[in-house]
Amino acid sequence: MKKRTLLLTLPAILLVFSILLSACGENAKSGEASEIEIKFPSIWVAKDSKAATFAQIVKDFNEQNQGKIKVVVEEIPDYAAYKDKIRTNITTGTTPDIFSFDNPADGEFYYKSGNLADLTPYLDEQWKSTFLDHAFDNATYDGKVYSIPFEFGVTPVLYNTKLFKQAGITGFPKTYTELFAAFDKLKAAGIAPATQMTGGDGWVSMLWYSQLVSAIGGPDVYKHGLDDPAFVQAAEVLKKLFDYTTGDAVGLDNAGGHFLNQQTAVLLNGPWFIGRIKKEGIDQLYDSVEVAPAPVYEGGKGQPGQYVGFTQASLAVGKQKDKKKEEAIVKFLKYLTSPDNVKKISLDSGSLFVIKYEVTKDDKVERLQTEMKKGMEAAPYIIPHFRASVSPAVGAEFPQALSGLVLGKYTPEQFVEQLKQAESK
Amino acid sequence: MQRTTHFRTGAILFLLPALLLFAAFFLYPVGYVVVVSLLNWDGMSSPGFAGLRNYSALFHDEVFRISIRNNLIWAFAEALIQVPLAIVVALLLARKPKGWKLLRTIYFFPHVISGIAITMLWGAIYNNERGLLNGFLRLIGLSEWEHNWLGGLGSAFPSVLVYGLLYIGYFMVIILADISSVSQSYYEAASIDGATRTQQDWHITLPLIRGTIATCVTLAMVNGLRQFEQVLLLTNGGPANSTSVLVLYLYKELQNFHYGTANALGTVLIVLGGLVILTVRRLFNAAKYDM
Repeated sequence: MKKRTLLLTLPAILLVFSILLSACGENAKSGEASEIEIKFPSIWVAKDSKAATFAQIVKDFNEQNQGKIKVVVEEIPDYAAYKDKIRTNITTGTTPDIFSFDNPADGEFYYKSGNLADLTPYLDEQWKSTFLDHAFDNATYDGKVYSIPFEFGVTPVLYNTKLFKQAGITGFPKTYTELFAAFDKLKAAGIAPATQMTGGDGWVSMLWYSQLVSAIGGPDVYKHGLDDPAFVQAAEVLKKLFDYTTGDAVGLDNAGGHFLNQQTAVLLNGPWFIGRIKKEGIDQLYDSVEVAPAPVYEGGKGQPGQYVGFTQASLAVGKQKDKKKEEAIVKFLKYLTSPDNVKKISLDSGSLFVIKYEVTKDDKVERLQTEMKKGMEAAPYIIPHFRASVSPAVGAEFPQALSGLVLGKYTPEQFVEQLKQAESK
Repeated sequence: MQRTTHFRTGAILFLLPALLLFAAFFLYPVGYVVVVSLLNWDGMSSPGFAGLRNYSALFHDEVFRISIRNNLIWAFAEALIQVPLAIVVALLLARKPKGWKLLRTIYFFPHVISGIAITMLWGAIYNNERGLLNGFLRLIGLSEWEHNWLGGLGSAFPSVLVYGLLYIGYFMVIILADISSVSQSYYEAASIDGATRTQQDWHITLPLIRGTIATCVTLAMVNGLRQFEQVLLLTNGGPANSTSVLVLYLYKELQNFHYGTANALGTVLIVLGGLVILTVRRLFNAAKYDM
């Protein structure tokens, strides 16, 4: 009896132990090889517009450093899953050698974990000079650079000239008074003027709010926190903007659908949307789309031509025990962010970067991308969007508070109060 | 005596692997949740002790109150609408009308499809611009009833809640299986005494399947407390948090780097689940039915 019991139980116990042991076994292998292996979980894979060029750059680097350094890309095409993975890794002290993150507001939390490598000593003048001015403002914490800013997003106004013509409007309005007059004309012509949304993360409406907040409060508005009266005033205007949108704006989470079907005339979005206009837009939509800076708010502290722009992807390095490995990682980062490689990715994908590069006449540059870049370079200042400037909790509460504002549950003051409460939790 | 000791050692050895797994994958995580709920922690930097502050913050929080309310409505709606519907349909199918097997399959079919797919389908039905529901209302001349179903403060939560109640197949199959295990002799005796089908259902079938009904009610209520994807996909808790539920709120708090609050929410959920099970057992006096 006893023997049989033991015989039956043993395999089960062994199974449990083998599960526990297998977790420890993986680490043993990596130390032996003389070649330094750099692990890079990446989202620039599969259908991502940067995937092909990115893969080629990694391949070139590995060939040039054969036998010495090898970058191994782990493909994670799903952004939400990627974010969850990175967070778990950082919390459990298994931070990847290189990873990227989108919102600088998240980066601060990552830095605080103490599991990121300090990149300040590697950032010599030569490397730094290849980046745009102020590129590192959001990447510096406690006087140390904890990530390399990479991809850049600007979100000007995209507008449909064909619909504007139908409503008898020429050119994009310069002030909000003119804007509302133009919107009235569009509405009278049976066209929903602009896309707004409160579903998902409320992206497009969040961008309008960002434009308004800085148009009213000026470029330094986020320095005073949510107490600045500009946030309440901007909410009032944003609520009014919801009178000029589609009936499903509350709850809508597909940014751009109506614009692509030519049901709305105006959309705030960035260079990554250009590809969608070409692929998913109705016939000849691309030819009627133009780019403009958002209007000026009369009496506001903002200046004409301001652009909302933000680092959309930063590269961070996990803390390394081995100095040689850290140097190898930086070597790869310098390669990836070199003007030549960035130019390749940018021209192929339409995305913008914080790294400067020269364009020659022979380069095929996207029309709308060029316009965005021109507008960005002409802008008196560039201000990050709302979500990148507040804590993640406030950013997450924004669509909820906004739908409450639009449906009349909250006054503009209560709307801001709601955002403040999310911060204090 | 000797035999008993042998038996005990054997039993312990047999249970050990399961116990180890249970401890590793249930007791430890639950304990961890409770401990973290007492911390002031963003999940990244080193945590500080917060005592019960996370909990007191929750009880002053509007979104938490809305979430609890919605979860309770959900739990009771499933117990009081979905389960009774399943019982009625099961009783009717148990009479084996023509084509009952086909009907059983049809009722069960939605449970074969992924819940996410069904939710997305309903998202399309409720769509304000192109949705079937508004299209149908227009068709029958009730266009003044057209509505942004998932975007209205009053209509969003009922819209998210109600369609799930229609999918009764899962409980129906469980109840149907139990009904078929009731001995035919009771019914024969009853019909000799002149009892109608309805009387038989009421006085024989229902009392005999009480244990199964209690199980279904428990499962339904716990299901109501665990709601997540239906809300996440349809409204993400909006508008103005009016459709928020506890698990969604927990998920968002994790995303917001509020690990302490998220784990406090987890603890509240565990306690609520326990309470529901205890209450249902009490109500049905179900201990003796081997739930």
